[in-house]
This record gives sequence, C-alpha cells and structure tokens, in this order.
Amino acid sequence: MRRTRSSERSSTVALSCFALAWAMATVAVAEEPGKWLERMNQALTTRNYDGTFSHWQGGKVEMLRIIHRVQDGAVSERLVSLDGSGREFIRTGSDLACYLPDKRIVLVERRPPEESLFGGIPAINDQTAKFYDIKEVARTRLNRRDTHVITVSPKDEFRYGYRLWIDETTAMPLKTQLCNAHGKVIEQIVFASLTLSSRIPDSAFKPEVSTEGFQWLRNEAAPPKDPAAAASLVWDALKLPPGFKMAARKAQTMPGSTDPVDHLVFTDGLASVSVFVEAHSQSNASSEDPPLDESARVGSSSAFSTVIDGHKVTAVGEVPPATVRFIANSVKAGPGPRQ
Amino acid sequence: MNEELDSQLSAMFDDELPSAECELLARRLSRDELLKARWGRYAVMGAAIRAEGGVRLNTGLPGRVSTAISAEPVLAAEPAPQRRERWGNRWWQPVAGAAVAAGVAAVSILWMRSQAVPDAPNLAQAAAPMTTSVVSGNASPASTAEPDSYVVPKTPGRRLVVPSTELANYVVAHSEFSSPVGRRNLLSAFMATETGTAGTSAGSEEPTEDVQDDAKNPQ
Amino acid sequence: MSADVSDLSLVRRVQRGDKGAFDALVLKYQHKLVKLVMRYVRNPAEAEDIAQEAFIKAYRALPQFRGDSAFYTWLYRIAINTAKNAVVSRDRSPIEYDLDRNNTDESYDMQGRMKDAETPEGLVLTDEIRSTVNAAIDALPEDLRTAIVLRELEGLSYEEIAATMDCPVGTVRSRIFRAREAIDRRLREVFEGGLGRVEELG
Repeated sequence: MRRTRSSERSSTVALSCFALAWAMATVAVAEEPGKWLERMNQALTTRNYDGTFSHWQGGKVEMLRIIHRVQDGAVSERLVSLDGSGREFIRTGSDLACYLPDKRIVLVERRPPEESLFGGIPAINDQTAKFYDIKEVARTRLNRRDTHVITVSPKDEFRYGYRLWIDETTAMPLKTQLCNAHGKVIEQIVFASLTLSSRIPDSAFKPEVSTEGFQWLRNEAAPPKDPAAAASLVWDALKLPPGFKMAARKAQTMPGSTDPVDHLVFTDGLASVSVFVEAHSQSNASSEDPPLDESARVGSSSAFSTVIDGHKVTAVGEVPPATVRFIANSVKAGPGPRQ
Repeated sequence: MNEELDSQLSAMFDDELPSAECELLARRLSRDELLKARWGRYAVMGAAIRAEGGVRLNTGLPGRVSTAISAEPVLAAEPAPQRRERWGNRWWQPVAGAAVAAGVAAVSILWMRSQAVPDAPNLAQAAAPMTTSVVSGNASPASTAEPDSYVVPKTPGRRLVVPSTELANYVVAHSEFSSPVGRRNLLSAFMATETGTAGTSAGSEEPTEDVQDDAKNPQ
Repeated sequence: MSADVSDLSLVRRVQRGDKGAFDALVLKYQHKLVKLVMRYVRNPAEAEDIAQEAFIKAYRALPQFRGDSAFYTWLYRIAINTAKNAVVSRDRSPIEYDLDRNNTDESYDMQGRMKDAETPEGLVLTDEIRSTVNAAIDALPEDLRTAIVLRELEGLSYEEIAATMDCPVGTVRSRIFRAREAIDRRLREVFEGGLGRVEELG
C-alpha cells in the first residue's frame, strides 16, 4: 500500500525518508528524472534569463555572464567572459558572432534563417536510456532553492555524464557538473545570480569589447544548399561508437573562408559530435611532412583532426577524446550524389 | 545480519565501545551503507524517544550533506599518501580538486601535435587545412563602428588564419547542434580560454606579421 | 573509557580522506543540530538548511580539528555561529530570482522557501516514525525499556545505568542493543522498500 503511494510521489517519499537516501543508487525512480531533463532543456532554450555563473574546469575558475532571450521566435543570446579573456559570443537571430579580443578577431557566421536552433537539439528518448542511467538521486536545497539532483551516468567510456541541480520551480539548472565515466567531476558551472524576466532589451546583446582594429572574418551569406549536390563526394562515418547516429548533414562555409565544409552531426541523444570535412590542399604544405593528427581540448570538450583521402576531417564534441578520435578516423567518402 | 556487529554498533553509538574496536567499526561503518542506515535509525529512535519538538525526523539532510560533501575536496591531514580506498559504487564520487586539475592536461584552445613538433614556420603551414583570408585587418578605419561590408576574396591566397580561429569556427558551428547544457559548457570553456595560452603551442598561433604583435600583446 | 572515542575514530577517518565516515557523523547528529538551530529560527526547513551548512563548514574545517574538545562540542559551536550568521544575513540570498510576476504561467515564490517544509508526506512520515517508536517501546520487556529510556532520554552512561538497574555493564549494553533491535524491526517497516528489504537478505 505504501509502495503505491511511493510510486505516485516517488521522489518525495524516497527522499523525505532519509534512510532511503543512502540507498539512492538502488532506488528506482523511473521516468521522472528524464522529464526533468526535458524541462531543463526547455527552460534553457525558451526562457528569458540573465545570469552570472562560475565555470570551473581544470582547476581554473572563471566568471561568465549569460543572457538569453526568445522574442517573436528569434533567439538572442550573449555569453561574456567577465574576468578573463573578455571573449564574447553573441547570437542575434541568424548571426553568430564571436569576439576574440585576445586575437583581435571577430568571427561572424550567418546562418540560414530557416535553420532553427531548436531543430538540432538532441532529444532524450528510449535510445538515450540504453547508454545512460538517468536518476534523481536527491532533492536538495541550493542557495535556498529547492532543486532536484539528477544524475546522468554513462554506461561506457564514449561519453560523459552529468550531475544537475535543477530548480524545482523554473527547471533551470542552478549547478551542473560534467563527469567522466569514472564519475570524476571535470567541469562545473554554478550560477551566482540568475534573473528570469519577461523582457530583455536589445541593448543587452551588444558587445562590450571595442572592436577597433579587429579583423572581421565572415562567411558567405549563402552556403551551398545541398552537400550532396555541391560536392562530388558524400562523407559518412563507417563506424560509430554505440548509440551514435547521424542527426544532421549540411554544407557551410566558415568565417574567413570561401571553401565549402561538409558538416556532419552525430548524436546519442545527449552528447553530440560534429565532423567537419574540407579539402586539404597539400600544395600549401611546404614540407613533405606526412599529414599529422592533431587534437585539442576546449574545456572538457574534445577535438581531433586527421587527414583522410586528401581531406581534412575534424571531429568536435562534448565527449571524451577517444570518441572524437574514433569518429574522425572512421569517416570515409562515398560517391555522390547521395545514395 | 551479524548480531555481534550490530551490538558493537549500538555500543559505539553510545560511545561505549573500546577504542580499538571503534577504529575497526568506524572503518566498516564508513563504507557499509546498510550499517550506516542502521546507525541512522538508531539516531532516529533517539530523537523520537526524546520527542524533539518541531524536529522533522525524516529529513533529507544526510543525503544533502553527503551530496555537497562529495563535491568537496577529499581531506588529507597527513602528508597525503592517497589512500586507495574503495568508494562504493556511487559513480559521482568525485576526487580532490587537485587531482582533477592534474588530470586535465590543457584547458585552452590548443592544438597539440600527436607526433614530433617541427619548427614553427613549418608547423604553421603544415597545419593549414584550408585556404582562408583575413579581411580588413589593421587597415580598417580607426573607428569602433562595425565595418559596413565584408569582402571575402574569391581567390584566397596563402593561409592567414590562425588554427585557433579555425577551431573557434568549429566550436561555434558545433555548438548549434549540442544539447543546451553541453552547448553552454562548450561555449563557456571557449569564452574562458585564457589570453595567450594558445601561444604556447610552438608558435603555431600567430600566422601573420600584422596580427602577431597584437596577439602577443593583447590590449 | 575516554569519552568521544567513537566520534574521534570517525573524525580521524574523515581527516584521512574517508568521506563515508562523515556520513555517520551527520546521521548521528543531524537531529540534535536541527533542534539546536531551531532556537534561532522557527522554520524547520530553514533550520535544516542551516544545519546542512554547519555540517559542510565542519567538514571543511575538520583538518583543523585536533580533538581538544569533544567533536559534538566543536560541531555545536559551528552550528551556533552558522545560525547566528544566517539570522543576520537572512533574506540576502545570493540568488535572487527577479521573476516576472505578470507572467503567471507558474507562480513563483521569491525566496524559494516555505513550500517544502510541511508537505503532507513529510508530516505523515514523521508521525508514523514517532508512533512506531513509541509503540515499539511500549511493547518492550520492562528491563529493555528502562535501559533504552535511561540512555536516550536521560543520557546516562552504561555505567550509570548499570548502577541504577543494579546489573553488570555488559548486561546494560546487551539490553540497550536488544531494545534497539526490537524498535528497529518496526522502524524498518516504516522506511520500507530499499533498505529494509535488502537487509532481510543479508
């Protein structure tokens, strides 16, 4: 009888009963946690908010400010480094601009207006549950707010896990930890202040940096429409880590370039990896060095670049280094147009 | 269930267990969740017997503290010979901040060669994946206003754009397809990248003479 | 027997990096600490927040704890200070939700508190626990009931209880343990599911 009640209000009962908190790992609270992730995604993408947060990674902490607005269907967003590089990322409608004062460069990418930001967001589904354990492990209070602590633990080493403190009222993640497959926290974001309001003025999306003397790099307004039609080759990954599927394929040009780049997106429903394929002109290399693999980290995200069939193939994603390496190395060209 | 063990636990709870036994039991208690739960219930019955007015017995307090503590660094009073203790299977059990810091090699936007590093000029060019061109540069009017128009040359010449810019492009393009949280992490890490850190990458960051000084001495 | 040896063995483990041992200290003292903090704040939920904060502060300060005083005395001082500070800085939460109240698709509580303290579920369980414990004690044989009551309600040591009940200390230990076992059997039914069930197997 009690069990029935506990299944109705599983989270309340399980966690108001403190002894069960110790059995967190074994208490099965189905479906609810996934719902919280959906609510959180919805909140992050559709609400208007202005907040400052600390970003911890690799032992360094930096304060950032994020402003997000959805108005008349147009997404505006601004992310500013408050005490470090002074970098800013600003999206206004279909323009993405990256201000890099440390490089004295502004990158501007204009995207086709019909391309919705939401379209590309991976959806949490049954498939996701195969590769992650999603659990509500606690209800706790963070900064005097009720939060649900949701853990998303990967079942293998191809992906990262999350630990999220989701505000009960607003579904905003007040604290986020990114964990590797062993549960080590490798990146953390904690809001120091957060304001949710219905109206954010346009002026909030103007950069603070003076761009005097900066180089402006911009992509061409109209990238080739269909990658298969534009290119003679169609690229795909022959093998993917378990659970990853192609979610999008497009051709685009990058700021500062006229060369088309094939952009493939793979996702397991939670993590995503982009693969960029572009012509690799050997003539530019002055030496006879064999093409070298390169790797990079952006926070806990990874990038890996290699040369395949005369093309430079780069995989980028918020996944462990092995995953981008795996995916980049399995990319192959097939004859176009699309089969 | 082990009656002798539970009897010891009861005595330890009352601070009536000899210290040698306490040491052993504390060790076991710290990792045995069932024992811990029993220990917790001993505390509950005490509170119930004393009818501690206004106190809720069934709080989530221990779980919340545990959650908060799990994000704290592990204490090490002694010169820290990292005790290899089993932490149970709570996957989120984090490690000390220092250990995390040491384990993460590079924070920055930093391309790293997986093979031998050639000298800088070769590196810069060998790393060139695409022909791109810098527009405007220092020739832009000394004004804070945005340029009215942008020109991308139809026939790009030698590669001028730094690899980190290329990576920035990838990061931004990829972020459009990330989950909201993943996207925020990625962009935050990118924004937080320290000025000049990328320059440590064997000089591969400064491609043009024009930009070089600025990039080396930002602001 | 030196007092506090049980707490000290747990404290030493935490100091050597064993976070699990801290759980045991929290479990043991949470009720006392919340009760203590309730002298300063009236809202149980707020008291829990403060107790939680005190525990976390204690964890952070534990490297400095030398065992000169009893652990609980030390913890007690931290909790008192935390409670005082909380009262002073009340309503100056670091997170301020300037939520738009015209936009009433959801109703927000500006401070994000008040709601959780008195959920019906919570109250039912509390009463259930209390009445379960009381019923279990009533059902105990006289000597067991006396032993546990003297211990928990009067706070007597085993030696004092032995003197009161005119029996060996070993018998006191065994009586208290048996009393707890009997109460625990009922209590586990209340906590049902997870722990109690698993424990039957063990």
